[in-house]
Amino acid sequence: MNAPDRYERFVVPEGTKKVSYERDTKIINAASFTIEREDHTVGNVLRMQLHRDPNVLFAGYKLPHPLQYKIIARIHTTSQSSPMQAYNQAINDLDKELNYLKEQFEAEVKKHSTTMEY
Amino acid sequence: MDVCYQRFPKVKIREMKDDYLKFELRETDASMANALRRVMIAEVPTLAIDLVEIEVNSSVLNDEFIAHRLGLIPLTSDNAMEMRFARDCDACDGDGQCEFCSIEFTLSARCTDDQTLDVTSAELRSSDPAMCCPVDQILRSASDSGGYDGSEQRGITIVKLRRGQELRLRAIARKGIGKDHAKWSPAATVTFMYEPQIHINEDLMETLTYEQKVEWIESSPTKVLGMDPNTHQVVVLDPEAYTYDDEVIKKAEAMGKPGLVEIYAKEDSFIFTVESTGAIKAYQLVINAIDILKQKLDAVRLSEDTEESLDQFRELGAHLGGGGN
Repeated sequence: MNAPDRYERFVVPEGTKKVSYERDTKIINAASFTIEREDHTVGNVLRMQLHRDPNVLFAGYKLPHPLQYKIIARIHTTSQSSPMQAYNQAINDLDKELNYLKEQFEAEVKKHSTTMEY
Repeated sequence: MDVCYQRFPKVKIREMKDDYLKFELRETDASMANALRRVMIAEVPTLAIDLVEIEVNSSVLNDEFIAHRLGLIPLTSDNAMEMRFARDCDACDGDGQCEFCSIEFTLSARCTDDQTLDVTSAELRSSDPAMCCPVDQILRSASDSGGYDGSEQRGITIVKLRRGQELRLRAIARKGIGKDHAKWSPAATVTFMYEPQIHINEDLMETLTYEQKVEWIESSPTKVLGMDPNTHQVVVLDPEAYTYDDEVIKKAEAMGKPGLVEIYAKEDSFIFTVESTGAIKAYQLVINAIDILKQKLDAVRLSEDTEESLDQFRELGAHLGGGGN
């Protein structure tokens, strides 16, 4: 009767920002990103990509509660970079990786469907 | 920003059928493999019956029971990626028949015989069969050339009617994702495993008698190892049959031969198995998952107004750095 709508798990409520950024008050080059309506799918892939960046000293994410549909990613970088720069770079690199993966996959599908026609 | 920490994954398809796909994914890590798996199961959209208006139901099952069963019938959803979600369709209020977000179905069945009538998904009439219909209706038309036998062509049973009972309804199928309700999941199963690498220590193996070798081979619950009938050498028949159960390692230790075999999981190679419900083709499921994951990542980019605080941030950095000197 008072159950929340199921779509609340993946639809960002009006007036809420998908991503908000909060700088650490004590450490320079450290910040938290609160990402609304996302989970381990994006959190983990982003974290692992950030680990590939040598300027990232720390990258982690948490899902604070299973009924709060958001994740918090925390990034700490060297002075050569900034959390925001590292975050943007990670997304760009993942995007490029997925583009490449799609090309590769489609080429394989094409190869396979032509050999199947015999 | 010239630096780039991007990976270049490799793909090799092993087996491809309409509803089954087995492929290798290499040179990437588990986070990518798992993100793809999770998206395939819960976030690739399909169509499923979501709204049912029952006109007549004198069957033994109650209305909501039937509505639930209708929802679980897989529908062909090749166009689902291009369709709109009913909740953000501006061409309709979300519950009408609108070509952008919904497909209408009707079902009408009445039992007039003494024999029980099975009402199946084959009786569902789609307003646009080319766009969306129960998956078994497609199988049926395809099976005229293929080799499906009669028993597989009956469709999915919705309800059984006795003489005089009747079922008449109107149903609307909508686009949705598995996260909302499992009926929208296009995946029957999606799994991946690390590729195992099995190295047998040949020198140590030489010290085993024939019987010991046989005993060791048989300690594996799956058929990973075998024996060459001519040379009596232990060989790895099928490394992928290994389930990471450690049985052969424990057995080697129990036999007093630790280090007889070393087994590693290659942490950048994955073997994927994708099974589709039939709503979309298995390879299309993978392609759609890649697209969805890209869209998701695009959505988590920082918005423009957040960008402004970047300079602020730099200032603080300079300030703190300057203060320290």
